[in-house]
Amino acid sequence: MVTNDDGANANSTAHAGFVSRYLFNTHHKTIGLQYLWLALLSVFVGMILSALLRIHSSWPDTAIPFLASFESTPERYAAVRLLHGSLMVFFVLTAAPQLGFGNFLLPLQIGAEEMAFPALNLISFWMTVASLIGMTASFFFPLQSGIDVWLLSAAIFSVAALLSAVNFTVTTIELRATGMTLPRMPVTVWAWFLNAILSMLIFSVLLAGCSAVLSDRLLGSNFFSAASFLAQQPQNLVRQGSLPVLWQRLFWYFAQAEVYVAMLPCFGIVTHLIATFSRKPVWKERLVVLALCGVGLVGFCVWGYHMFATGMNPYAPLVFAVLASSLGVPAMILMASWFVTLWNARIELSASMLFAIGFVSLFIAGGLSGLFLARHDLARAAVSEDFVVGHFHLVMGVAATFAILAALFFWFPKLFGCRLSEPLGKAHFWMTFAGVYCIFMPMHWMGLLAQSQILSPSQRTLLAASGGSFRTIVTLATLWTVAAQLLFVFNFASTLLRRRELEEDNPWHASTLEWSIASPAPQVNFGDALPTVYRGAYEFPAGFSNDFAPQHLAPELLSQKAR
Amino acid sequence: MPGTTSTPDIELIIEKKGGGGGGTPPPAGGDGGGDDGKRGRKGRPSPKRYYTGIALGIVSILMFFMALASAFLVRKGASTDWVSVHIPTLLWINTVVLMASSGTVELARKSLAKADLPGFKKYWSMSTGLGVLFLIGQLVAWKQLAGQGIYLASNPASSFFYIFTGAHAVHLIGGVGALLYVSLRNFDRAKVTRAVAAEVTSYYWHFMDALWLFLLALLYLGK
Repeated sequence: MVTNDDGANANSTAHAGFVSRYLFNTHHKTIGLQYLWLALLSVFVGMILSALLRIHSSWPDTAIPFLASFESTPERYAAVRLLHGSLMVFFVLTAAPQLGFGNFLLPLQIGAEEMAFPALNLISFWMTVASLIGMTASFFFPLQSGIDVWLLSAAIFSVAALLSAVNFTVTTIELRATGMTLPRMPVTVWAWFLNAILSMLIFSVLLAGCSAVLSDRLLGSNFFSAASFLAQQPQNLVRQGSLPVLWQRLFWYFAQAEVYVAMLPCFGIVTHLIATFSRKPVWKERLVVLALCGVGLVGFCVWGYHMFATGMNPYAPLVFAVLASSLGVPAMILMASWFVTLWNARIELSASMLFAIGFVSLFIAGGLSGLFLARHDLARAAVSEDFVVGHFHLVMGVAATFAILAALFFWFPKLFGCRLSEPLGKAHFWMTFAGVYCIFMPMHWMGLLAQSQILSPSQRTLLAASGGSFRTIVTLATLWTVAAQLLFVFNFASTLLRRRELEEDNPWHASTLEWSIASPAPQVNFGDALPTVYRGAYEFPAGFSNDFAPQHLAPELLSQKAR
Repeated sequence: MPGTTSTPDIELIIEKKGGGGGGTPPPAGGDGGGDDGKRGRKGRPSPKRYYTGIALGIVSILMFFMALASAFLVRKGASTDWVSVHIPTLLWINTVVLMASSGTVELARKSLAKADLPGFKKYWSMSTGLGVLFLIGQLVAWKQLAGQGIYLASNPASSFFYIFTGAHAVHLIGGVGALLYVSLRNFDRAKVTRAVAAEVTSYYWHFMDALWLFLLALLYLGK
């Protein structure tokens, strides 16, 4: 059933119409690019929504042009947050690093001509589009039917993600070029591969959860109906009025692992870029791959730590706290590898590398606050909403966005055949970097103050008053950061309009397979013969011209290149 | 898992017989891409991707049902409104029908291995028929339950009964689709041989079979 008809290939004729060239093209590069455009659209809508949310929380009386036409109820505000969250999580953080860059680059990096199941790939792309439309539309529906539409869209997204995950996994297992052994795979490929396996497991759970909730809401079944179920739970463990616990368990089972689904490919991308721009192999590459496996494995097991406050076995929080804290181990390995790779290297500080290093910085800053949250006792004492919001935006949202930007700057020549402007890119980086710290650091602080137990009540009232000014700082920083993205839009648009030709096909002197062919990547990836791989992905031996040893170059040719 | 017959042999026989492998099938290597027909550097791609693909597909479907099964156990353990569903006798007959269809799928593949195409078609259509019969049987069982006043919305146990049988039926409809695909497809032009398509489909079908046994056991023992 996964067989696709070979007659259906769309771009067999160069002048095929728009429909067959773009809408029904099964080619992996086209689909990858389409995912990236989708993510770009979503990120800008999501960002504008976040600015609206900040403006509203700082100056609640201001009429906001777009939202004024809606009734101003707390539910509406929550709906804006939901839309912001779903756009960012599903269509930016999940779609861009894995589905966008992954679809485009995975076959190129392993030396394959296509994904394993191109037709399946096309189907899952269009299901993703349908889900994007559904989630956006759900915002405009009345509240209750809006929730139904949202759930249905989430279910569609899950199916799409499952199909993509199977496709990625099979492609990596079966379609690697001759000589592309597992240890020789670039870390990016490892990350996409492991991430696909993780997605395969968790999106089925989200699908099951969504189907059951939808059936409850539409058909009146009794999976999550709260009344009788909650009555059985020990009273002290159930917060009054909390949502049905079972649904929460299934949901967090998915949602916590979803964080790692967003992060894993970013780890891969950043590791790849740091090695390439440091002109050094990835330090302890195998350990890094093991760490990525560890992230996936632990990420799969920590769902319970969102449930500390609900009815659980009293020992369960301890177990989950230990598991959550043990995420620190793979994280430490990754960070050690990044730092040792950077140590004493001839670092080329391109805009792409700046974003990659920015990712490391944000990951550390966000990860440190995660340590507080992983301890269930500390979390209960110290956590208020601002702290959590600050934490996960820094580590998941912003850090992942930095990795996506780093990847975009790096692979732009491969995608479009021209380079983004470096000076503009660097200015964009510094403005954004400063901006996001000014948003999320005060937010952490606000979260801590709100729960502070050591202050007297009068001091707390005083702080609450000053909290307002904090809030204004955060809002101003948000507006600044959103404005800084105009630089990026300008850079992006002007580069594409000018299309200045590349001087060389491999501007970064990278050694992986995608750079062994022309830039932009030709329609047929590798021409008449698939490449053969002779060495690992990160070999930068001194003494060779351009100081790197491409994976596809036969040893005898390589020694000719030696000075 | 069945399907222990060695695949390469089967393929060889089929390719000789059908002449499908001998001609120049559009290079599946094109796999999409923009190169169909232009480059003959690869013939049919290795069928391994289909085996891996179906194995992974089975894993994620299993995960879907495990999520529901764990919800079933948790929900049952902590509710006061649980009214067990008595499993209709028809379900046991349906189970036998489904088991039989797995058997005929294997018989069909044996015939194919012996290059007995009419035999294959006969057994394969029987499997498809049995599959459809099972689905009809499930539908009748639902009607019987509804006749007794047990609906999806009646209580948690009935909700789970309907969602388990329903979700399994949806997956089985996919399986019937795959069976029909294998019997109707012209494999001379396809990227896969009939033997590969039949084997991959049979894995899915047997999995549906085993999954049904598991769900039935869960519903019966866990009521």
